[in-house]
Amino acid sequence: MLVNLQGPWSPLLGRLAVSQIPYENPILVGTFVLVVALGMAILGAVTYYGKWGYLWREWLTTVDHKKIGIMYILVGLVMLLRGFVDAAMIRSQQAMAVGPDSAGYLGALHGYLTPFHFGQIYTAHGVIMILFAATPILVGIMNIIVPLQVGARDMAYPYLNAVGLWLTTAGAALVMTALFIGDFAHAGWFGNLPLNELPYSPGVGVDYWIWAFQLSSVGTTLGGINLIATIVKMRAPGMTWMRLPMFTWASLSANIISLTSFPVLTVSLALLSLDRYLGTHFYTAGMGGNLMLYNDLFWIWGHPEVYFVILPAFGMLSEIIPVFSEKTLFGYTGMVLASFGIAGVSWGVWLHHFFTMGSAPDVNAFYSVSTMLVGIPTGVKVFNWLFTMYRGRLRFELPMIWACAALFFLLVGGMTGMMNAFTTNDYMVHNSVFVVAHFHLMLLLIVYAIFGAVNFWFPKVFGFKLNERWGKWFFWLFTAGTATVFIPMFTLGFMGMTRRLDYIPYAQWQPLLDAEMAGIVLYSLSAVYLVAQLYVSLRDRALNRVGADAWGTSRSLEWATPSPVPFYNFAYIPHVNARDEWAWRKENGIAQLRHDRYEGIHMPKNTGVPLVLGALSLVLAFALVWRMWWLAALCLAGIVILVIMRSFAKDTDYIVSPEEVKRVEDALWAGTHARGTEAEGGRGRGAVGGGLSPAHSPSAPK
Amino acid sequence: MMKKIWGGGWRFLALLSTVLLGGCSSRDFWLFDAKGVISQTQVHYMVIDVVVMLVIIIPTALLIMWAMWRYRKSAGATYAPHWSHSNAIEAIVWGVPILTVAVLSYYSVEAIYQVNPYKPTVLARAEAAPAPRPLEIDVIATDWRWVFIYPAQHIMSVGRLVIPVDTPVKFRLTSTSVTNDFYIPQLVGMIDVMPGMRVKQALMASHVGTYEGFSADYSGAGFSWMNFQTDAVPSAQFQQWTKQAQQAPQHMDYAQFDLFAKPDISVSGKPEYFSDVEPGIFDHVVGEVMNGKVWPTPMGMTENMVKYLQKQRASQAQMQGEL
Repeated sequence: MLVNLQGPWSPLLGRLAVSQIPYENPILVGTFVLVVALGMAILGAVTYYGKWGYLWREWLTTVDHKKIGIMYILVGLVMLLRGFVDAAMIRSQQAMAVGPDSAGYLGALHGYLTPFHFGQIYTAHGVIMILFAATPILVGIMNIIVPLQVGARDMAYPYLNAVGLWLTTAGAALVMTALFIGDFAHAGWFGNLPLNELPYSPGVGVDYWIWAFQLSSVGTTLGGINLIATIVKMRAPGMTWMRLPMFTWASLSANIISLTSFPVLTVSLALLSLDRYLGTHFYTAGMGGNLMLYNDLFWIWGHPEVYFVILPAFGMLSEIIPVFSEKTLFGYTGMVLASFGIAGVSWGVWLHHFFTMGSAPDVNAFYSVSTMLVGIPTGVKVFNWLFTMYRGRLRFELPMIWACAALFFLLVGGMTGMMNAFTTNDYMVHNSVFVVAHFHLMLLLIVYAIFGAVNFWFPKVFGFKLNERWGKWFFWLFTAGTATVFIPMFTLGFMGMTRRLDYIPYAQWQPLLDAEMAGIVLYSLSAVYLVAQLYVSLRDRALNRVGADAWGTSRSLEWATPSPVPFYNFAYIPHVNARDEWAWRKENGIAQLRHDRYEGIHMPKNTGVPLVLGALSLVLAFALVWRMWWLAALCLAGIVILVIMRSFAKDTDYIVSPEEVKRVEDALWAGTHARGTEAEGGRGRGAVGGGLSPAHSPSAPK
Repeated sequence: MMKKIWGGGWRFLALLSTVLLGGCSSRDFWLFDAKGVISQTQVHYMVIDVVVMLVIIIPTALLIMWAMWRYRKSAGATYAPHWSHSNAIEAIVWGVPILTVAVLSYYSVEAIYQVNPYKPTVLARAEAAPAPRPLEIDVIATDWRWVFIYPAQHIMSVGRLVIPVDTPVKFRLTSTSVTNDFYIPQLVGMIDVMPGMRVKQALMASHVGTYEGFSADYSGAGFSWMNFQTDAVPSAQFQQWTKQAQQAPQHMDYAQFDLFAKPDISVSGKPEYFSDVEPGIFDHVVGEVMNGKVWPTPMGMTENMVKYLQKQRASQAQMQGEL
């Protein structure tokens, strides 16, 4: 051991011991029992219905970008629930632990959570919501939609795509493991240095935090490479840059950010692990270390990461608003410039996360102005959405109400963001709950865009719409919850309340903390309506089946595929004629043209390697957390050998026979015609892709 | 159905806002109730910032609501499905944000120099005045208490800050272990207090009163109890307090400070005073920490706070017994 560890260590089990299982804590024991029961129920159900083969063939080993996207979203939803439970615990602790006379339970002086436990909960809340809820859900939606929008049959690297998914899942699983074995970091999701160093965080919590971050960061970097390659190289003929749908532009700008910034995160956390494992002094206060180095490196990733999650959300709004305004997006070129403007500025603003470090006024002035610059492209986007609605025919269906609400969040979030960018305001509110409320509103903007996008694209992926009535109830309850939590939180910020207090010394904050608790109740209630919406939609799916064009006024290329999309996406690679290709085809009366013959399609084969890689990475990370060196070495060797073996594998693809394509297409389109679509069929003057009868396809690509 | 939900939603929100704002009095809004020159300057600029932003945000919000209402499908208003470009509008949508950001940037930069913690220009005149001379205070954040050393007076106060009004106060700040934020909402904004480093802060209270101060940056288990009372008192009263503190029976040198700085949660929050404080403890601490000195947190220290407090009380009783 190169470092001074508190507590025992053995060569076989490392730091792991029975005492590390928190069996004394009734909250964790209860959760454990619940998780085990749920897990048994799911595994039992899979066994009972004999679905293991199906699960393995269709999901666990798949390289289909849509299924991988769905699994990303499922992982994100599970973690969203966990993150929400953490939020509810934070809120209830703060509502209970006010003033010196408040009661204490379970070993806590006030409330029911000890400072150590509370620190872990808010750290887990932040890590989970950003890295394991928002990021996977967004990556999942990009995974599903981008190849469809650019007219590709899969991602550029389908195998790599699956590796990214299983690494992210391994990261999420590691965070969940920390609940029941050992503990989690307590120093905030971004890690306060030197609090994260061994002398101040002697347990395994910070190690869990490091390796969970690392797994997700590698996964997201791989995903970024894949999406960029897909957008740059896999566009269908005729899909020129200035015909790309806005969501694809947004994904491109977001993934350029992720590709350039996630490696910085990997390095900054690697240096921290060197400090904790080998006793180096990168971030220590003494021996030449510098904790501000960590802050710089972390936020050079951290701020671009914020735009990595918000740009796809902006892209979603840019897709939803034109469809439900029945109109072209206003200022397309400006929107593209604005996306890249935001991405570009994102690299030059990180210091605003530590305006209060006492740097020279010239430095703070530079970063104050650069941060405000973000307001310009963002403002342009808001105005462009406004002018998209102008002279439209607005239909307030589910995706549109989520999108419209998101616009108002952007206004409030933008306003408070400009307040924080103003450095002297930041001195007053830097670590206050005002800032917490601000960034939650911005993240809720993303959540609103995501719910809009899920309602919007759900019929494309599954072939039926989500229930409108329950969905609207969910929307209003969720919105009421948001208002009830975050209006008081802004107010508390002005009253001087700072973040991360497990005990509240000032009684005058009590009423507003109670109001926030009421908001949590509303949020919980809204979750019931979400589940009901999903259940009712699934039950009545036969009534809500849709054709290719689920909304009737859809515009971009993904709507040219049948719903649900067949595994090969396009029977023929489409030929793109216009910016809003599907709208163009409808206007020119060629939307209903079908192919009369098919060719074989080259597709990637399923593989179990990514799943095994993910599992090995999880065990590797677990071994590193507990310092079981033999196990870590074994897993690392396994990963290296597996990756090398896979790179020699030749049998990785196959050809789908024309008969099979015809069978699938006939079945899908027969259903579609029976249900009818709103677009008119007929003759046209453009090309929609190869394989049409010659009269209809003057420029079919080979 | 739709209409009913809309109506219900709005009624609920209206009701909510009255409930939320009813329970608070304006005195509780510490950020607006500024009692020092620095904080008053900050509030002044915050008002400018908010007003400029509202000039943009309110009309935009109204325009969006208008467009949502005017162009709803059932209204049958003008419909231009292909209209997607207008040079004039594009110039406005870029011009308005650029102009706003330019104006706000100007004020932001101006404000940064005025309340620069190292050399606030709003305090320049007061600092240059022959009397009263600025008061110097060294602040050390330990795990998890605030230590205020008055070098000229040779006194040390733990958990309570006493300053004279209308006198510039100059702080030097450091930490023994981890990062904290020094924050007195009604007097001065936050500044990071970091181990092995020295930062500065300055303030001047303009009203006599008692103000709450606390750490704003999470520093571990005792963080929530790291609050201190700040008393801004008339000059004469300050002199009197100094004299009193100089009579304190407990003294302080670095060797004792080394013991004092061990992790300790200040649940009672009772202030302590020390006299005959050895000069240079602040620099000594900075130097030691730079050389690798740490005051480590014992593992599982606060996994159970009740047990921790029992232990703390027992050890305090033992120490008193020994004395």
